[in-house]
Amino acid sequence: MQHHLLTIIILLPVAGALATVAYSLLPSKRESNYKWIALGFSLVDFALSLFLIRGAQTGSGGFRFVEDVLWIGSIGAHYHVGVDGISLWLVILTTLLMPIAIVSSWTAIHKRQLAYYVFLGLLAGAMIGVFVSLDLLLFYLFFEASLVPMFFLIGIWGGERRIYAAVKFFIYTAVGSLLMLVAIIALFYIYGTFDYTTILAAMTSGGPALSAQTQFWLFLAFAFAFCIKIPLFPLHTWLPDAHTEAPTAGSVILAGVLLKMGTYGLLRFNLGLFPEMAREFAPVMITLAVIGIIYGALVAMVQPDVKRLVAYSSVSHMGFVVLGLFSFTEMGIQGALYQMLAHGVSTGALFLFVGFIYERRHTRMISEFGGLSTPMPWFSTLFVIASLSSIGLPFLNGFVGEFLIMLGSWTSGAIQYPRAATMLAGTGVIWAAVYMLWMLQRVVFGKVTNPENANLPDLNAREIGLIIPLLALMVFMGVYPRVFLDRSRASVEEIRTRVAQPPAGGSFADARRSADGLTAEDAKHAK
Amino acid sequence: MQPGRNKPCTYISLMENNLLSLIIFAPLAGAAINWFVGRRLRNEHFIGIVACSSVGVSTLIAFYLALKPGGALHLGEPGVTTPVFDHLWTWIQVGQFRADFGLAMDRLSGTYALFVTFIGFLIHVFAVGYMHKDSGFYRFFAYLNLFMFAMLTLVLADNFLLMFVGWEGVGLCSYLLIGYYTDRQEAGDAAKKAFITNRVGDWGFVMGLMLIFAITAGLGNGTISFFDHPGTGVASVFNVVKDLPIDAFTWKAIFAGGLTSVAVLLFIGAAGKSAQIPLYVWLPDAMAGPTPVSALIHAATMVTAGVYMIVRCSEIYVHAPTAMFIVAIIGAATALFAATIGIAQNDIKKVLAYSTVSQLGYMFLACGLGAFGAAIFHVITHAFFKALLFLGSGSVIHGMHHEQDMRRMGGLRKYMPITFATMLTGWLAISGIPIFAGFFSKDEILWKAWSAGTFNLPSPAWSKALWFIGALTALLTAVYMTRMMVMTFWGAERFREGHADHDDHTDESHATHEDGHGAIHGVHEPHESPLTMTVPLVVLAVLSTFGGLIGVPYALGSYFSDHPTNYIEQTLGPVISETPSSGHSAAGKPHAEQFEWLSPKPQVTDSAPPVHSLDESAVGTTGHPHSPEEVRAERLLALLSVLIAALGIGVGWVVFRKRPLLQMPRLLENKYYVDEIYNKTIINPITAGSREGLWKLFDIGVIDGFLHAIGDVVTETGGVLRRLQAGFVRGYAAIILLGALAVIGFFAYSAFRG
Repeated sequence: MQHHLLTIIILLPVAGALATVAYSLLPSKRESNYKWIALGFSLVDFALSLFLIRGAQTGSGGFRFVEDVLWIGSIGAHYHVGVDGISLWLVILTTLLMPIAIVSSWTAIHKRQLAYYVFLGLLAGAMIGVFVSLDLLLFYLFFEASLVPMFFLIGIWGGERRIYAAVKFFIYTAVGSLLMLVAIIALFYIYGTFDYTTILAAMTSGGPALSAQTQFWLFLAFAFAFCIKIPLFPLHTWLPDAHTEAPTAGSVILAGVLLKMGTYGLLRFNLGLFPEMAREFAPVMITLAVIGIIYGALVAMVQPDVKRLVAYSSVSHMGFVVLGLFSFTEMGIQGALYQMLAHGVSTGALFLFVGFIYERRHTRMISEFGGLSTPMPWFSTLFVIASLSSIGLPFLNGFVGEFLIMLGSWTSGAIQYPRAATMLAGTGVIWAAVYMLWMLQRVVFGKVTNPENANLPDLNAREIGLIIPLLALMVFMGVYPRVFLDRSRASVEEIRTRVAQPPAGGSFADARRSADGLTAEDAKHAK
Repeated sequence: MQPGRNKPCTYISLMENNLLSLIIFAPLAGAAINWFVGRRLRNEHFIGIVACSSVGVSTLIAFYLALKPGGALHLGEPGVTTPVFDHLWTWIQVGQFRADFGLAMDRLSGTYALFVTFIGFLIHVFAVGYMHKDSGFYRFFAYLNLFMFAMLTLVLADNFLLMFVGWEGVGLCSYLLIGYYTDRQEAGDAAKKAFITNRVGDWGFVMGLMLIFAITAGLGNGTISFFDHPGTGVASVFNVVKDLPIDAFTWKAIFAGGLTSVAVLLFIGAAGKSAQIPLYVWLPDAMAGPTPVSALIHAATMVTAGVYMIVRCSEIYVHAPTAMFIVAIIGAATALFAATIGIAQNDIKKVLAYSTVSQLGYMFLACGLGAFGAAIFHVITHAFFKALLFLGSGSVIHGMHHEQDMRRMGGLRKYMPITFATMLTGWLAISGIPIFAGFFSKDEILWKAWSAGTFNLPSPAWSKALWFIGALTALLTAVYMTRMMVMTFWGAERFREGHADHDDHTDESHATHEDGHGAIHGVHEPHESPLTMTVPLVVLAVLSTFGGLIGVPYALGSYFSDHPTNYIEQTLGPVISETPSSGHSAAGKPHAEQFEWLSPKPQVTDSAPPVHSLDESAVGTTGHPHSPEEVRAERLLALLSVLIAALGIGVGWVVFRKRPLLQMPRLLENKYYVDEIYNKTIINPITAGSREGLWKLFDIGVIDGFLHAIGDVVTETGGVLRRLQAGFVRGYAAIILLGALAVIGFFAYSAFRG
């Protein structure tokens, strides 16, 4: 089983989807059982994914649980999967959030339940596939495959403007990933393979050298796809709409996992395959990241809709991740990885909370609420804790990542003014307090002003059960991050040493200069 | 790999290590018990006992660890002291960066832990009476215990990052407790304002922390620890930077990225937490919380955390004369500014709040002058008398059925004799009447200002100017405290007059906090408070009266004894860095002969007590380093201080005894309109700009507008999107299927070709 563990983890949710379909064909089927089947499969999947930790050595990088078989012989595409310290936690984050997403739909989803749970299953398989693919074509297919179920989840089970949001989401991300496809094919023509590890090996040890111009375009194509997914300012406008219109489970998965596919891709492919270009682009990426941190927070502050507020806060938080990645320091990249996990947990939780009050009131407008702590003390307490985690309170998960990212960018040699960038980014933490506390005050605290809120039922056992694992994780990740950081260190270091390594005898400035020279030469050649 | 347990020092046993963490975890356990069990039981006895005893345990352990023979603060052997460590786990370790969850009690944190736990305990006891019959009793004490946990973490942390945990933790508890009356709008506003203003300061703290890490990393030993841990190779920040040259005394140094930058950034953090200009605005509003909270958090402990942090980092500050100058200026300005506002407030808690801001200004003035010991001394005496005054005001408010407006008080000394008598000592202490605690600490600061050298002041005239501001503030302090006492305890019994006459005043607490006193609008007989409230008052009154004797300066002590002992100086001396004596200082510093350090003194480490501290303590106990001229000058100045205090009390008495309701200047009553100015110039523009500019104009207008324009072109040419929007799900499915087929077809094609 060791050898096929990853494949099983990818396919189990898909098998769950098929099982649901098979069950639906039974004459004695009951619609209410679909979710049980989906939940069962997702829980087993989560349990299996925990076995991946067992293989994780704290000391070494490299891929484990590797499975590599020829897939499309004629083009040399392989089914090549494996997990390292970077993808490990993202896989587990995905398998953890799936059962939570399913249970959050328990009473919220009434129409077309079969299709709903089938899509969730397919989505889970695709997302896990993205994180473990070591073949570029396979990666691309999973990347695209995750798009389709999410498109339907938003488009069918979404809110009032679901069609607009779904189409916007689809077009935005599809455009980005098509560019990536072109880049992947280009790499195939240069290296004759889709295999990530083979290409990487060829690049580091005397394979065909890429001209700076080629690298430039390849980097840009990958980066464009991933930055849309993250989303990095100014490519973010699909996110508020998609989040706001998606059903709760959709928002949880979108924020929790889908966005991470972007930052994961940046780390794995942009930093991993094109370190020189990553250095070139660092000032641009960091500038956009810092703008995104502040911009996302400021726009979040003035949102009248809770869900939209959380969505814009994601733009801000994910800006931190990009900042950390492009600092090219161990602290920055480890922090970025940690921030991905922390954001998945705490923003996932925040969307659940929004879902709870939406189910009760069928509105997400902040002005409709107020004083919920009186009718809903449990909801309020837990919601406040999750918000504090999002604010980055120490000993909750948000702090560790953001702090490490800032420490990394502060000491970064990737840009000219790392301290100024960090100081600006640091104001994002102030803004986070502003928009979250302001929202809390208008939703949770104060007097009950709207009589409709006066008798809202507090969270029930199912809802509390949903939230508690996430809250426990927030605290645990805040107090004992070593469990995670130790297991990702070696893999992060492998990529970082490549990208942070200045070319022989030079600083970054020299590297930039020499790269510029190359570009000029290429330009001559082109003429 | 646990530094605390691998230390060469032998006489610290494992047991004591673990006891140290019990100081912080006992209140945490209390908070958890009250939150989970107390919530169910709703039994005030149970909740009160859990809350008080958990803090009681902390107090006992803190006293034991600090004062036992060989303890962190052992007074019997000056200079010979070993910090007690307790390393729990390594919290974050990435690359060069390492932050442990480790606690340390040295002389400074030991001193702090003593008064924090003890006053915390008294205030917990007081609060049991004050919060009687409050519906959120369990919640209140859970938060209050949580606060003790955070505050003690802040104090006992052995590195910057763990200190920051406590730093944010006290901010959170402050937020929760200011907003404790959740149904009151202004409580929520005040809580939010406090947290956000603190966050601005926290930004400075974190940036300073990162810069100091970068600096030490640049010196080859990246660290954020306060102490050396030979077992793990973690070095003390202060030991790493102590040999660096002192930064130039220029404005440029602030932005140079050296220790001056660190000091300024850290001071931003301190200014937020300790309510200094321009970040003081949250503290007066924080009075919306219950009064024990104001006493504990917003007077005695949390707000002095900024002072603690600066004193802890004294080694950094003595390298940064520009930063010290800024600290002194801001401190002095805040002291005077807040005192002028305090003189015109009518809410008894607002008077005390501005008084606290003002007194905190004194402490920063002391820090800025390099008188770190005097700053801590004033923190302690202030904790005594300000906690007393706040609790006294709480007792008054309690006895007045939640009336806070002094214009509706008067003549209360007849009804509340114990409260009156105890507050009397607090009043004399803060005014600076000799023997009472505040006199010694305030006088010490004024003397340090008067005699300051030019190490961190542009010219000798600055020292006299700072002294003058301090003295003027002292005068104002005596005046407004006298006004407060007179309006509350003397004069006509205005509480019988009904409430309609002061319609401009909105006292929300009075209207909304009716918790079983049967308080309805109308006339009530004031009554004395129960024992749980008066006993803490009496204890604090004793401390406010005699507490200052721990720090009697040589110049005054030598009147009465041949070998006067200044316990505060003797205790803190070894852990505090001194500013180097300045060459062009005419007056010289009082200890100039004693401390001829060209570079700042090294810190005491756990491995071996440095030689200088032995020297110093020898000098401190036996020698007479004080020149007769200086002693004379200091005595004269002390006499002047007494006169100023007496003058202030006299003025206050003469003016307000007859006319307690005298209309004060509007500008002062309205706090110089600073809140309004902040709203108009900062908050509103940012909110409006974000809403109209960033969101509506840029996000929706520019970005989406651009995309929609493209979309429209596509729609018009193909008509595809229009059909999509008709809502045929099958339509999408078909299109996606087609797309997927196209992709697969492409690969098939390329496969054939390849």
